[in-house]
Amino acid sequence: MTQDELIEWATRIVHRADPQPHQLLEIKAESGLDDAQAAFHKVARQAHPDLHRNSLSAEQLELVTSAYAKVAGAYQDFRQLALAPRPKVIEVKGAYGTRNVPPPPPVEEPEAAPQAGGPVGQMNSKAMLHYRKAEMSLRRGELKTAVLQLKMASAADPQSKFVRIALAEVMAELAKSGG
Amino acid sequence: MAVALGIDLGTTNSCAAIATPTGVEFILGPRGERVHPSVVAFPGSGGVVVGPDAKRYRLTEPHHVIHSAKRFIGQNIRAPLVQLALTGVRYKIVEGPNQQPIVVVRDRRMTMPEISSHVLLHLKRCAERQLGTHVQQAVITVPANFTDGQRQATKEAGRLAGLEVMRLINEPTAAALAYGFGHDRQQLVAVFDFGGGTFDVSILRLNGEIFEVLASDGDFFLGGDDLDRALAELLAAECNRILRVDPRPHAALMMKLMMGAEAIKCHLSENEAAEGEIDGLDMPNGQAGRLPFSITRRQFEDLINGYVMRTMEVTRQVIVAAGLTPQHISEVLCVGGSTRIPVVRQRLTEIFGRPPNTRINPDEVVSQGAAIQAGSLTNTLNAGTGMGARDAVATSAHTTLHGVGAVQLQQQQAKRPILLDVNPATLGIGTAGGFSERLLDKNSPIPIEKIRVFTTARDNQTRVEIDCCRGENRRYDENEPLGTLVLEDIAAKARGEVKIEVCFRVDSDGILHVRAIDQASQQRQEAHLQVLGAPSVDGAEDGGGGGEL
Ligand SMILES: Nc1ncnc2c1ncn2[C@@H]1O[C@H](COP(=O)(O)OP(=O)(O)O)[C@@H](O)[C@H]1O
Ligand SMILES: [Mg+2]
Repeated sequence: MTQDELIEWATRIVHRADPQPHQLLEIKAESGLDDAQAAFHKVARQAHPDLHRNSLSAEQLELVTSAYAKVAGAYQDFRQLALAPRPKVIEVKGAYGTRNVPPPPPVEEPEAAPQAGGPVGQMNSKAMLHYRKAEMSLRRGELKTAVLQLKMASAADPQSKFVRIALAEVMAELAKSGG
Repeated sequence: MAVALGIDLGTTNSCAAIATPTGVEFILGPRGERVHPSVVAFPGSGGVVVGPDAKRYRLTEPHHVIHSAKRFIGQNIRAPLVQLALTGVRYKIVEGPNQQPIVVVRDRRMTMPEISSHVLLHLKRCAERQLGTHVQQAVITVPANFTDGQRQATKEAGRLAGLEVMRLINEPTAAALAYGFGHDRQQLVAVFDFGGGTFDVSILRLNGEIFEVLASDGDFFLGGDDLDRALAELLAAECNRILRVDPRPHAALMMKLMMGAEAIKCHLSENEAAEGEIDGLDMPNGQAGRLPFSITRRQFEDLINGYVMRTMEVTRQVIVAAGLTPQHISEVLCVGGSTRIPVVRQRLTEIFGRPPNTRINPDEVVSQGAAIQAGSLTNTLNAGTGMGARDAVATSAHTTLHGVGAVQLQQQQAKRPILLDVNPATLGIGTAGGFSERLLDKNSPIPIEKIRVFTTARDNQTRVEIDCCRGENRRYDENEPLGTLVLEDIAAKARGEVKIEVCFRVDSDGILHVRAIDQASQQRQEAHLQVLGAPSVDGAEDGGGGGEL
């Protein structure tokens, strides 16, 4: 493969919209794992980024690496199918959790925390404990539990503006979702 | 000519080599040794001592001798196994910024990459002295199951030692490379790497110049140290019974028993029984004690049976993960000092139905592979390197071939080896309902890239957080969080209308890069995830941030 052919191949791979694994490997749709492996090894022999690190510009190398990495992903799809033919589990596609709370305060570590578990930020450690639990609940989508934990955090550290804001936001969220 | 070093930076021992036109040349220490203890001492008399000399301070100044730094590098100090490992060292480790372990010697505070950089610097200097030239580039090996944070920290150690780390490669892969390079083999091989602190096993398909890892797994906290500890506990019980002293609360005494245990262990690899005395024990009453011992190989095997069984269980699982049975594998390569234990080889023979290859040197083969990869990346390999590598693998006697006139014989370019290594862990992102959506599977070939398109969960959502995690579990919380990427100022639209493209790329070093793009605005967020326990990106101790993502 000449350098021009290599760049042409990489451009083709990278710009393929919504590709199927066999299209990235440039093999037939009904191909099996052996075909996929042969195709991938061929790509590796010609286009593995290590082979070109001294001869391509940084941009070209990134293009080739990206194309190669996509083909590796396609090959992995074939392997996955062949090695672990498990029933498809319910897809939880597409959605993020209702995490609309502000990120936790920047944690300032003391020079050397003497024991584990004692970060101090804009709230005291007891409040932080409840805040963490609230965050866990939010990840699970349990808004009510989160509110409870944030209330406890607020009680533990009434000075913390951060906790109060978080509490207000999650309560608003809860009201919106009709809970 | 640029010289690139191949370095096996081990928990217990390190080894370095370079590829020459006629073979692989080892870097020798001040006394001609090829294996360099990964030990750094800061003695009271001042200075920094590395290697065999550093080891000598273990008994006199145990608090100033840093060994097994690899067990802590890039680790979160709060992780339970790290806490356990802390009980096995005599030097002081405290929690630093970003939950990274910090070594304290007298009033000096050092990160783990700093400690390891002393070992690397030692090797670099030995190499420069031996080769008479500057050495600025290196390929460093890491255990196959090293995490992102551990890999980043290892690269950092290289940087601190003034080395450009061209690549991190996995230790078992390096061993397979040393075994197969220049032979044009078509073969399935298993690499069983059982060292001082870690255990790894990989299955590879050799297809000419291609070295494809099919599956790899291991136990980061399982090694020869554990066997020493098991034996030391037995000795401690004996000490209690015979000398009527419980040695466990006495650091120096336990250290002596650990060292005695290691010597007994190694003796039992060659002999059926070990009998003798451990003398010079500093008893609490101020007198010197001597502890007689008598242990057979059989007793020792019973003692370590649990550990050995664990390695075999992982080995069986890896074979299954590769989609193979043991009969498919036609060569078993033993790497690491602990594979010298006869019962380990016996169990391997039982699993594979064939004895492991005894021609490779378990201490040196990893650095040989690293040297070959370094030669390949600098494009300085030729066919002669392969021939020399074959010699070096086959025999343990070795002559320095560098600069010999025979170079001219083999100027033919060798086929450059192509390493298809794998990603050590499943990587995913958190989705609604607290689930984790897998993006990259464990054991997928690297470099690899996967893109998924996600949508918003609520109407008018203008901010999205992408939580990345590592692990196989379906529930996000049960995996190890890696970090969060935030996309803000997304145009307010109905739920499902905003499209966000999330791209996971694991590079050739096994390090994850995440990118998220809001397709409408083309707003990009890129992150090199800052992992807890890793030093901060700028290498300073004041890592901060990254903690609570
Ligand atoms: N002959 C032997 N029998 C048993 N164990 C051995 C023998 N020689 C070395 N070891 C053990 O091997 C370990 C070191 O192996 P090594 O491969 O150098 O480790 P690492 O790669 O983790 O630095 C130590 O635990 C040491 O006690
Ligand atoms: Mg090793």
